[in-house]
Amino acid sequence: MTPSVREVMAGVGAALAVPPSPDAGPDYYASRVGMISMLAGLAAQEANRAAAAAFAENADIRATFRRGAPLYLDLELGPVAAEEDTDLTVSALDAVNVRLRRLLIRLHEAVEDAGDKAMNGAILDLYVRMAAGRRLSLGGG
Amino acid sequence: MTGPVAQGLAAYLTRVWGEPVAIEGLARISGGASRETYRFDAVLGGERRPLIVRRDPPGSLIETDRRSEFMALKSFHGRGVAAPEPLILEEEGAELSRPFFIMARVDGGMTASPFQPDPYAPHAAKIAEDFFGTLGRIAGADVAALPLAEVCEAPALDACWRRELDYWAGVIDEDELHPQPIVRAAIRWLRRNPPPPAQKLSVVHGDYRTGNFLHDGEGRIIAVLDWEMAHLGDPLEDLGWALDPLWRHSETGRVAGMVPKDEAIAIWERASGLKVDPAAFAWWELFASVKGQAIWISSAKEYRAGGYAEPILGFSGWVTARMQDEILAAKLKELAG
Repeated sequence: MTPSVREVMAGVGAALAVPPSPDAGPDYYASRVGMISMLAGLAAQEANRAAAAAFAENADIRATFRRGAPLYLDLELGPVAAEEDTDLTVSALDAVNVRLRRLLIRLHEAVEDAGDKAMNGAILDLYVRMAAGRRLSLGGG
Repeated sequence: MTGPVAQGLAAYLTRVWGEPVAIEGLARISGGASRETYRFDAVLGGERRPLIVRRDPPGSLIETDRRSEFMALKSFHGRGVAAPEPLILEEEGAELSRPFFIMARVDGGMTASPFQPDPYAPHAAKIAEDFFGTLGRIAGADVAALPLAEVCEAPALDACWRRELDYWAGVIDEDELHPQPIVRAAIRWLRRNPPPPAQKLSVVHGDYRTGNFLHDGEGRIIAVLDWEMAHLGDPLEDLGWALDPLWRHSETGRVAGMVPKDEAIAIWERASGLKVDPAAFAWWELFASVKGQAIWISSAKEYRAGGYAEPILGFSGWVTARMQDEILAAKLKELAG
């Protein structure tokens, strides 16, 4: 996902390294530091679960592909559905996720063109789970 | 110590006003990621003028036209909408290097973060009257009579939706860094289910929402801010944006942290003289979330392009984008029945 937790952590450092401008004033910097602090806290939250969230989402998308494979042969979903994530680093899981999401978009387009309400409903349910699985809690945790 | 913005402003205003101007109390205001915003006093001939300067930043959440923002303020200042008075538009940048405009400052107000719980209580109902009433007055205004019409394209009534959708879908095409199946599905739904033509051509503020106005803490709006996305279009566009769940302050029963949705719409209808067709409005509500996601996708791209140095871009492109995805997924499921 973009930005990745690695990018956000790099961003915390980059933002703190920006030299203060005499034009900005203390209130602006207090607000800016507050935002940087919030990003750091959220990055800590994400660092703990980013791999698990990406792993779960990839598995969920593949399960949808398994359901669609017999119906949408042109998309050759079967081999992708049979894959498993073996490299569990966030970057590797995200790279796979890019490929899976691209294929998911094509599958959904095909489902809509076919007027396949059952499969459409399954994909919309998947979207709800995908979005919930990536949720960041502003209250921490 | 005086910085380059203060020095540039002093030099610019001295040249434009033809007498020595001193800049005092310059301070940057947080938020407004599409403009650098500073408050300051310009002192000339013993007179002190409280002002705001809004300057284009090097990188921005959204690419906007400062002339249309200036003309939008000009269209509504002193006409029943608490739009600050626009004073000077400088599109070449001059002594400040980047384009900017100056407007009168409205002091004594407060803003609410969209993520702050219950920000307006106990004045929520009163502020809703002002908030949705003001939006209704903007929507109901006769476009032809307004300065904004001089600088904005006037789309045909049946083309308003397509122009906006094409624009924001194009932003996603250009700026998307990670594939986004949810917003893509929403865009396809919008194209398959176009709304009826706009009931009239209206000024669309473009970012009319909780957090983008100053209020006096007692239920009265004293300044409507951030007109940088103002354009002409369907009056339901702004209402859909204002009611997006993203701006609900984590509440489910009230919109914009103020009143239930049906009350908000009733206020808007009374003030505008227009009607909210539920089918048309469902389209504009989904569109609002697509537009939001386009802005957050752009901010993620700008965050990376700017070396991750601007935290508000990181927050928008990361946290807000994920919230918007949840809203989009829920709306798509609801529309599918």
